[in-house]
Amino acid sequence: MEYVSPEGLRLDGRRPMEMRQIRGELGAVAKADGSAVFEMGNTKVIAAVYGPREVQNRSQQLNDQALVRCEYSMANFSTGDRMRKPKGDRRSTEISLVIRQTMEACILTHLMPRSQIDIFVQVLQADGGTRSACINAATLALADAGIPMRDLVTSCSAGYLNSNPLLDLNYVEDSAGGPDVTVGILAKLDRVTLLQMDAKLPMDIFENVMQLAIEGCKAIANYIREVRTFQLVLPVVEDHLGTIREYQATGVSPGHIVFLSLPFLKGIPSQLTLPNSAAQVPFW
Amino acid sequence: MDERPLTSPTSFVDHIVVPGDVVLNLSSMANHTIKLGGGLRQDCDAISVMKAGKLRFSKPNKYWVESSQKRYVPCVEDTILGIVVDSKADNFLVDIKGPALAFLPVLAFEGGTRRNIPKFETGTLLYVRVVKANDGVNPELTCTDASGKAAEFGPLKEGYMFESSTGLSRMLLSSPTCPVLEALGKKLSFEIAVGLNGRVWVWADLSSVGRFSVNAASPSTVILVGNAIMSSESLSGVQQRIMVEKLLQRIQ
Repeated sequence: MEYVSPEGLRLDGRRPMEMRQIRGELGAVAKADGSAVFEMGNTKVIAAVYGPREVQNRSQQLNDQALVRCEYSMANFSTGDRMRKPKGDRRSTEISLVIRQTMEACILTHLMPRSQIDIFVQVLQADGGTRSACINAATLALADAGIPMRDLVTSCSAGYLNSNPLLDLNYVEDSAGGPDVTVGILAKLDRVTLLQMDAKLPMDIFENVMQLAIEGCKAIANYIREVRTFQLVLPVVEDHLGTIREYQATGVSPGHIVFLSLPFLKGIPSQLTLPNSAAQVPFW
Repeated sequence: MDERPLTSPTSFVDHIVVPGDVVLNLSSMANHTIKLGGGLRQDCDAISVMKAGKLRFSKPNKYWVESSQKRYVPCVEDTILGIVVDSKADNFLVDIKGPALAFLPVLAFEGGTRRNIPKFETGTLLYVRVVKANDGVNPELTCTDASGKAAEFGPLKEGYMFESSTGLSRMLLSSPTCPVLEALGKKLSFEIAVGLNGRVWVWADLSSVGRFSVNAASPSTVILVGNAIMSSESLSGVQQRIMVEKLLQRIQ
């Protein structure tokens, strides 16, 4: 099957070095201390963080650092055919462990001894790259909860099909049987915290593919910064436009901000322009 | 859009920062003493951000990150609202929305002796002050002020308590008076207790709706004040006043 056409377009019309459209939203789960929804193309993931709070199982308490627990599950309706066992199977346990180790590397656990931080990640729609979307959502949720972190962890995947390195594989490309490299980095510090690969790759091609995935991670980190920047820019935009909107007295839940970003083209940093519709996005 | 020139460190002040941003480079500032507040940490020569929020600077040399969360980090001398969870022989266990349960010694009241230990049921709301707050150790509270008087500390009876974020509590306690409280105070009379851990307690009796001072609750005023405060977190001063006006128009 042809995954990259002779004109250089993939199955969904993207270029080989082009990422899917990403979108992040904070504060989706009102009850959680921090939460976020993260979308990469059709893959949609929700993360909720609880903590730091008292350790529920005294025997697991660590005296010098916080205990980080992570649970990954897929909703029954997330894949094409309804799944029968969303949690507890081998793949979910493995991904839970991977996300826990990645986030533990960036949380400053020694500042919160004898406490517990719970990260729950659930996939609402799966279209390839769920692992990466989960890590990105968990980073946003941890930042929303105000848990001290060394840096933002972002993650992206890349593969190699038809002799082309491809960035951000979707489900069809992922199931093609080719190699799939998932990289997670600490964005500003430029350190790798997660590196996984399926199948085999020659060493020189592996370096190219990994570098491509790292560029994807950095692009996501730039856009995550814009999410927080947006949160306080919006009221200023309101004042410039001179509009003051009516507010309804309801029992209001915390405000959340939506941002939209354009696909990342390698070598050409895309400008994030403020679409007109953003000024009307209500911030609660 | 927010442009952020990346050259000088002072350009980060009053801007949103996310974890990992390096806001100061100490190698370029020799012989300076810098005080770091919450949300910042030192990594060899770089000062980097731990929590997402707004970077603030106060002269001569204090930097900190102002952020608003649902969880509370206990700090000495903070006044907070706690809920009694359990009572032991020498302490009450109080939930303060922090990483650990806090202890309130049974004698930490004005004129407290072994003979007149107060009896608090589970679920009692208390207005307390933090005395000790260290990492990994349960914080300690007290119901007296520094000189041993009760001041306003102790159980809060009746009224309505709601939870919000720490940022909202700080805004309500800022001076000069926060615009939403000022606007509400011009038309209504109510009592309010703000805990720095994100809990706010409101109480109003019927005198606020124009009757004489009757000792009976006025639920409509309490709910109005509560909703006004909850909606005011992300609004500027002018927007808060407009919101309160619209709310008050609805009940009159």
